[in-house]
Amino acid sequence: MFHALVSIKQVPDTTNIRIDPETNNLIRQGVPTILNPYDAHAVAAAVEWKRKLGGKVTVITMGPASAVTSLRECIEMGADRAILISDRKFAGADTWATSYVLSEVIKAVHAQEPVDLVFFGKQAIDGDTAQVGPGVAVRLDLPIVTYAVKIHEVDLQNRKVVIERKTESRNEVIRTSLPAALTCEKEIAEIPYASLPDLVYSLRYEPELWTTEGPITFDPSQLGLRGSPTTVFKTGTPEKHKGGEVIKTAELGVENAVKTALDKILAAEGMASLLGVAK
Amino acid sequence: MVDKNEKLTFDVIVVGAGLAGAAAAVTAARGGLNVVMVERGVAPGSKNYFGGALYTHSLLDIYPDFFDRKPPLERPVTETGFWFLSKDGMVRMTVQGGKVNNNPIDAYVAQRAKFDAWWAEQARKEGVFLIPKTVVVDFIRENGKVVGVVTDRAQGEIYAPVVIICEGVNNLLTQKLGLIKHDFKGNATALAVKQLISLPAETINTRLGLRSSDEGLAISVVGDVSMGLPGLGFLYTGKDSLSLGVGVTLDALSAAQIKPYELLQRYLKHPMIAPLIAGGQLMEYGAHLIPEGGWSTMPQLYTDGAMVAGDAASMVNAMHWEGTNMAITAGKAAGETAVEAHRKGDFSARTLAAYRTRLENTFVLKDLRQYRNMSRFLHDHPEFMDVYPNFLNDALGMFFTGFGKPKKQLYSDILKSLTSRRPLVKAVGDLVAFGRTVMGI
Repeated sequence: MFHALVSIKQVPDTTNIRIDPETNNLIRQGVPTILNPYDAHAVAAAVEWKRKLGGKVTVITMGPASAVTSLRECIEMGADRAILISDRKFAGADTWATSYVLSEVIKAVHAQEPVDLVFFGKQAIDGDTAQVGPGVAVRLDLPIVTYAVKIHEVDLQNRKVVIERKTESRNEVIRTSLPAALTCEKEIAEIPYASLPDLVYSLRYEPELWTTEGPITFDPSQLGLRGSPTTVFKTGTPEKHKGGEVIKTAELGVENAVKTALDKILAAEGMASLLGVAK
Repeated sequence: MVDKNEKLTFDVIVVGAGLAGAAAAVTAARGGLNVVMVERGVAPGSKNYFGGALYTHSLLDIYPDFFDRKPPLERPVTETGFWFLSKDGMVRMTVQGGKVNNNPIDAYVAQRAKFDAWWAEQARKEGVFLIPKTVVVDFIRENGKVVGVVTDRAQGEIYAPVVIICEGVNNLLTQKLGLIKHDFKGNATALAVKQLISLPAETINTRLGLRSSDEGLAISVVGDVSMGLPGLGFLYTGKDSLSLGVGVTLDALSAAQIKPYELLQRYLKHPMIAPLIAGGQLMEYGAHLIPEGGWSTMPQLYTDGAMVAGDAASMVNAMHWEGTNMAITAGKAAGETAVEAHRKGDFSARTLAAYRTRLENTFVLKDLRQYRNMSRFLHDHPEFMDVYPNFLNDALGMFFTGFGKPKKQLYSDILKSLTSRRPLVKAVGDLVAFGRTVMGI
């Protein structure tokens, strides 16, 4: 039996978001919330392997009561159990405090039913930190494969998993022991179109609610704002990229155009030494 | 917990969670029925679009405590009427106060994505089960009777002895049932395009002469806006946005080789319109088909095990911008009929005919019958979109600038500005035809 646990987040739909030009803050008012897209693919991958191997997918999220919608979406995709970790005392958590809460919950779920693989999206589209997955893995002392694009093999007998991950220059195929954690790119699996019974089941599904009152206990000093060492002292929007200069071969001829371009490149500060040529 | 293998069975299936659908669903649920509403959008309203304003009478008819429920509305319509555009001028003919100043106000501007989601949520609160993100593609029939629907999902059958089709203008299911023999027609279907432009509320108030943000406009714009084609423009005021658009029949657009967005751009650049939206930020650009054929393109409204309501049933009165209220009224009538059918235990066409009888007694079928020649009338009388708006602009313009001139000459000039465009005999004929076709007198 394969037991996958997926940690998801409900995020504002940033494709719809605007930035207040005065305060540089996200205008969240009226912006719909969605299941973080990378997390959706992580759930899809977990479900795909559950269907191959037989077993169970548990989904957890820490967030407000409205995050139930995103949990239901995971059930719709084929997850079996969903846990909402929600309490005012968790509010204001940074990635440090969040990974503490998640790892405590995962420990508890693991104690109920041993977990083989812990899935995360590669990052959330609102904060873009990509810290929670690795943070949880470190706290749980699990091997972590980030930016996973494909799960080649899950060998429950020999407790091994083979995962392909993306790096800036090439893909790496990594074998590691189970249990393990991974953070997923969208390529990891296609989002399935649920059957009608699965959809209807998900619409009626009520996730379990875990709070500071139970079923497990948390160290109060590690929760919420109090447990969050990160301080945001300034936020800003990056400057818009200015359009480049166009050198037209039709006007200058190819040779002259290339020469003009080269001169401009070499004239740029530090470029000549970087390229190892004389000015 | 729910058994995933149970056969999905309800008392009523409503296809489409728009204004008609949610009205039908909640009415049936109040009659004690187990109702499912199947919606193709991610959420109710996500596929819906209009100008536009909602009409209070229909909203209160479903929810007598409508306003206490805090519906997501924009502004009340406290001033309404026509703006007649010439190429570079405008005659405004609007009404405010007096008969428009009712409590509550008769019409409210809204945005469908927000409103319809809320509208469907009210139905859910009364027990209606909503299945979103799912397209109904066919029917399940037994002995020729509709007994359920097939969706685009695996194991996608849902069973119910009666189905209420509120699928909107693109009425593929209505066609599939054979309730109408043809696809929608280009001469009876308008394409409306609009922009939602955000502006500070105070700017809107100043530019449109509104005393506060609790006042708002609903304007039909006639004349240069449609480039002489059979169609109308509109302007509605949101809280901090303006909705401007134009709708023209598909046939006219294609014959004139005009792209809808060109028509809209031209409208927004009109010298009388551009200053109203100057400095605004484009929030939304959208388009939707409107079934304007009314009576002439109305499908059969019921068959064994099924009824049709709303845009799918061509329930739009283009002249009065009515459609949303017809949809709600028809949805309610269909819901009541479903309850009656369950009481009788008979879902045949004979029982469901009561749906049509109910509608005969409302403005829905009365008006659609009266306006049955409307779209052909406008098609045959393009001068209402061109000659008369221009004449009106010239006539009033000349009347109010004819200082120091002999007035006999002035009136002769004004008359000439009409007769040079349209012979007097024909103009009188147009007026008579208008009275006969449109007003039913």
